[in-house]
Amino acid sequence: MTTTEPLWAVGTYEDGRGVRVPWRISHAEIGRDVAAATALLASLGVDGRRVLWCSMLSQAGQFWPYVCGTVMAGARLSCADASYGEAMRVAMFLRLMDYDAVFGVTEALLDGLSATARPAAEVFADVRLLGAHPGAYERLVEAGLSPVRVVLCGPALAIGHEPDGPAFVLADEWDVVDVEGGIGITNLRPRAESFLRTPIPVRGTIVDGGIVPDAASGLGAATNKE
Amino acid sequence: MTDSTPSQSVYFDAAIETMARADLEALQLERLLEVLPIAYERAPLIGETWQAAGVHPRDIRTLDDFRERVPFIDKDMIRAFRDQRGDPFGGLLCVDPHDLTGVGSTSGTTGDPTLVAEQWGGGGLTSPSIITRDLWGWGVRPGDYVMLVLFTFRGPTYGLFQHSLGTTPILFDFDPAEMERFCELSLEYRPTAVYNFGSVLINAVHEVCDRRGLDPRDVFSSYKGVTFAGEPLSPRARTLAESWGVELFEHGNVGDVTGSFECVAHDGLHAWEDTVLLEGIDGDDDGRCELVATALNNHIAPLIRFRSDDIVRLTTEPCACGRTHARMWPVGRKSDEVVVEGQSVLPLDVWGAVESVDACAMGLFQMIRPVRDVDRLRLRVGYAAQWSSRLDGVRDDVRAAVAAATGTEPDVELVPNETLLRLGPPHKIPRVSRT
Repeated sequence: MTTTEPLWAVGTYEDGRGVRVPWRISHAEIGRDVAAATALLASLGVDGRRVLWCSMLSQAGQFWPYVCGTVMAGARLSCADASYGEAMRVAMFLRLMDYDAVFGVTEALLDGLSATARPAAEVFADVRLLGAHPGAYERLVEAGLSPVRVVLCGPALAIGHEPDGPAFVLADEWDVVDVEGGIGITNLRPRAESFLRTPIPVRGTIVDGGIVPDAASGLGAATNKE
Repeated sequence: MTDSTPSQSVYFDAAIETMARADLEALQLERLLEVLPIAYERAPLIGETWQAAGVHPRDIRTLDDFRERVPFIDKDMIRAFRDQRGDPFGGLLCVDPHDLTGVGSTSGTTGDPTLVAEQWGGGGLTSPSIITRDLWGWGVRPGDYVMLVLFTFRGPTYGLFQHSLGTTPILFDFDPAEMERFCELSLEYRPTAVYNFGSVLINAVHEVCDRRGLDPRDVFSSYKGVTFAGEPLSPRARTLAESWGVELFEHGNVGDVTGSFECVAHDGLHAWEDTVLLEGIDGDDDGRCELVATALNNHIAPLIRFRSDDIVRLTTEPCACGRTHARMWPVGRKSDEVVVEGQSVLPLDVWGAVESVDACAMGLFQMIRPVRDVDRLRLRVGYAAQWSSRLDGVRDDVRAAVAAATGTEPDVELVPNETLLRLGPPHKIPRVSRT
């Protein structure tokens, strides 16, 4: 689809080789994404509770629908970068207030918590929905927690609905499919930029229409790591 | 853009931005008298502090009353209230916590961050007057592309770029590794502004352009303004950017109440005084004072007479740009000062010396400040990886350069640049560390 109207943003996603490429996003599609994310978050029961989203600005195209949807769903929003140095902010939020959900935990954040002697098992102990990217997910399981999966699927974000289950992209907007040698993504409704079985860097298995990534798969989730 | 503002006007909101001083002060008083009873009655830190000082909102009828009678608060008081009372908002919240749409936080570079209560659509730090008036003044217009190189912890802020200013953001992390993409997309989309840059990123652009054979003047040819914030621009970075034809605009914080920006006159940073009441206290002979800020349009968790710890010069004289709002010139932070055998040293005093050493050109360093008064200056300085086999020479060079700049020879600990960048975001790595 081409448009002469101003775009909502030029975001970025990682292609099948893990290379960052620009991604044009229209106001219409971000509006649909916000509505769909709002409905999903409402179904996860966050209304009236606190939700912390950990992400990077370059990922706003993927995360903004959920960030905005958190407020639209009646929850109270906090945000932090998903980087090593932001571990102190994440720990501060969780020390001062109860959070029902924290989404977007990365290995970099866990490294930052470890470096400041804040065990993840203690920091996240009271979080009902703890969403973590591949790599961080396995570390949280090892720490005795029960996270849900968060997976960057190129231009889309997939969120697990329950521990150990697959992560799902917004069903009316995206489809994850097997492509030769990996996984691809297809947009189901018109967007400023089209995706047709476009390879994404995640390796894993498609289960019930969702994605179960291989351990430590999913580039783009780790930031500020040495 | 207000309906009355033609797109060719240099002002986004001329009526406010060029308001006569007397009218501006009348507006401030009107807003102040609205916010004070709310803060006194609902924010326990404010109420208790005023009661201890024997002051009541009915005692305040003029701006002079306010300046003469109202007690100060500062960040230590907020943290102490938070920790001693178990109130995450430090005794500042004026609404039911259930009525908030979000909870943000300050940057945390002066210690641990403090919470910022948010109501989307409600004023405070997300007021459209911040950023929009400033970028409009540089010539940014609806339909333009704007490079957003930023952190996310004030999530709602960047919605201003789409909805208030009508621009399309191109999104980046504040990360030197993003600068190759930045250069490529600058050439493709021809944006008109960057929000935000810093010394580390300017040095990274220099490296990318050298490596890729790009002309940085071409990369920046479409830009009407490039903002830097978080910390002063290093002398090396400023020289580089200006050699590329970049018009730099400094952006700063105003006591955690709002933001301030340089205008096209480049003669101080404007703070929008319809949103904040400014004072300078403890002034010295050079006109330097500590900035004190009071929120005028925040009824959620207003800071009232908040001592910022920021040392500035301040004026309310009209600017050459035609705006009447106050201007400030940041000098440094009181809490960053190290006194070595009686001599004051601030990060800016050693910055140019550190980055003059090629291995340390990124200008990444920390002053070690276990206490304010020390016997010897201690620095932790970042170096580029390719210099790792020649660190003795690098250390000697840094020591000599800093001694020449400050008159005091430092102890120097060298660490890889990445070690300091991890403490980021790098526009604002903590320049002072206790250990």
